[in-house]
Amino acid sequence: MKKLALILAALMAAGTLTSCGGGAGENGTLNLFTWEGMFPEEVLTEFEETTGIDINYVNFDYDETMLMKLQAANGGDYDLIIADDYIIETAIAEGLVQKLDKSKIPSIGNVNPLYQGQFYDPTDEYTVPYGAGVQTIVYNPANVGIDITGYADLWDASLADSVGIISNYRVINGMALKVLGKSYNTTETADIAAAGAKLNELAPNIRLIKDDYIQDDLVSGEINAAVMYTSQVTMAKLTDPSLEVVYPKEGIGFGIMAMFVPSKAPNADAAHKFIEFILDPERGAKCYEYLGYYCTATASEPYITEEYREFLTLPAEFSKDNMEMIENITPEADDAHIAAWSEFKGLCE
Amino acid sequence: MNRKKQRTANLAVLPMYLFSLVFVAGPLVYMLVLSFMTRDGFGFQNAFTLENYAKIFDEVYFATFLESLKLAVISTAAVILLGYPFGLGAALLPTKYARFFRTAQMIPYFVNSLLRLCGWIIIFRANGLLDKVLMAAGITDEPLKLLYTYPAVVVGMIYVLLPFMFLSVYQVAEKLDLTLVEAARDLGAGKVRAFLSVTLPLTMPGLKTGIVLTFIPSMGLFFIASILGGNKVVLIGSLIEEQLMRAHNQPFAAALSVALMLLTGVVCGILMKKRRDV
Repeated sequence: MKKLALILAALMAAGTLTSCGGGAGENGTLNLFTWEGMFPEEVLTEFEETTGIDINYVNFDYDETMLMKLQAANGGDYDLIIADDYIIETAIAEGLVQKLDKSKIPSIGNVNPLYQGQFYDPTDEYTVPYGAGVQTIVYNPANVGIDITGYADLWDASLADSVGIISNYRVINGMALKVLGKSYNTTETADIAAAGAKLNELAPNIRLIKDDYIQDDLVSGEINAAVMYTSQVTMAKLTDPSLEVVYPKEGIGFGIMAMFVPSKAPNADAAHKFIEFILDPERGAKCYEYLGYYCTATASEPYITEEYREFLTLPAEFSKDNMEMIENITPEADDAHIAAWSEFKGLCE
Repeated sequence: MNRKKQRTANLAVLPMYLFSLVFVAGPLVYMLVLSFMTRDGFGFQNAFTLENYAKIFDEVYFATFLESLKLAVISTAAVILLGYPFGLGAALLPTKYARFFRTAQMIPYFVNSLLRLCGWIIIFRANGLLDKVLMAAGITDEPLKLLYTYPAVVVGMIYVLLPFMFLSVYQVAEKLDLTLVEAARDLGAGKVRAFLSVTLPLTMPGLKTGIVLTFIPSMGLFFIASILGGNKVVLIGSLIEEQLMRAHNQPFAAALSVALMLLTGVVCGILMKKRRDV
């Protein structure tokens, strides 16, 4: 869930930093800590103009880097952080996150309940979701002879040397687990090993494994089917609308990015104002289109334009019953995953 | 006074010593200690274990060492075959042309190698520049699958490493006393004999340096395999990165790094030792 429109993002973040780096605004500063390119420039500018709060946009590349810096700052320095679900679970457990003051966020009801009450914050006391990654399969119907409806179809011999995948082993091993009818989060090492064996059979179909710009390979015809990050699916669809996006019939895995206020945030008030500002339905829609991840605010969905609706909002039939988050698992299970993944990659050559 | 000079010299190198101590030795010691710790969640606990090292001999992980070694040997061999004659030949040209070749070798390196490899992708990918030209000319009718293969990785390695060999050989060959070769020929040696008994031994230090400068980075250059190999060639470097950034197993990543350094050190030690014998 880390890979976004990097070039644009870098330009934007650089612009933000130079424009509001210096001294505090009349109503203080909001130290916003997240990846590059999470918000359209105009939304950030609008916030600064309407509230008189300057935004100091600081970015990190990996969730892990964020956690290290937050630990070093002992929950201070930053006012608002946006990161992935699994790392937030750790941050909360370490006491680095403060409870939200819901009275300052009257629009909290705009959030889609599907993305609430999840493992990292079961009672929704600490976080507000901002964008979700939903695992889909994308393929080019012009070059693929079969109808892809689920993960199992990726094993089809007709796709030899033409499938691209991201290098997130929980997502990819998870596909094999799903084909075997298991949970993404199983801690049974025997199940994970079985999934690894199943995955090994996929090796002849794998043309490439990569995280950055994999959407370009699908658009160029280097690969014909892919499992990739949601923002990449969005970019691929915008470039080539003839691509098919499939919700795998074996089940949907997803992840959430969420906003939280660190325990010793210097300006928690500004953080709450920003959350409320982003929950505005129309403004939110603008943000999700820019971000390219699934819209996590029900109230914003009607404002998502037709062009984006198909891949930024979930069809009505999806609920918590048929979707599953990818959660932190035991070290033993994680070891089993990485062993299976390493073996699989070795076979792809 | 000699002693005074000595003291000044000591003071002059002191900052460098301190710098190395803090920024080179420090992290290495940290890494070494870390490699004996036990993993705990995203971090580690201070409990001594040898498990991280035992795990290296696990078939799956050990294979990445062999894979890295194989790629390093293939790349180094290819770089010797291409770089040695090129460096030698360029050095023997008239100075004007020799300088031209030397500069031409270096110009591409003004640009970051990551960017240059991304440029390759634009040219060689399916329906990329090369495919378009070939298909327009009627030479091929469908996209070639050039990228994301083992040869693509090897070519990328050669491309990045060649200048190290070229410059090492060039530097030594430039000082080569050609009258010695002439003497050998006068004394009845054939071309091959003269090369083997005069030119080669005299340029050997350059070749050795070139091999060391090629081999060491080629053990660690995993971004080429990532970019041009589509991550399908699993090298030790990519395993370390994955353990650190995704699997959150810092101790195991540290143990792998220590093992990689030992392996590289041993190979270089062998090369350096032979060098003293020559």
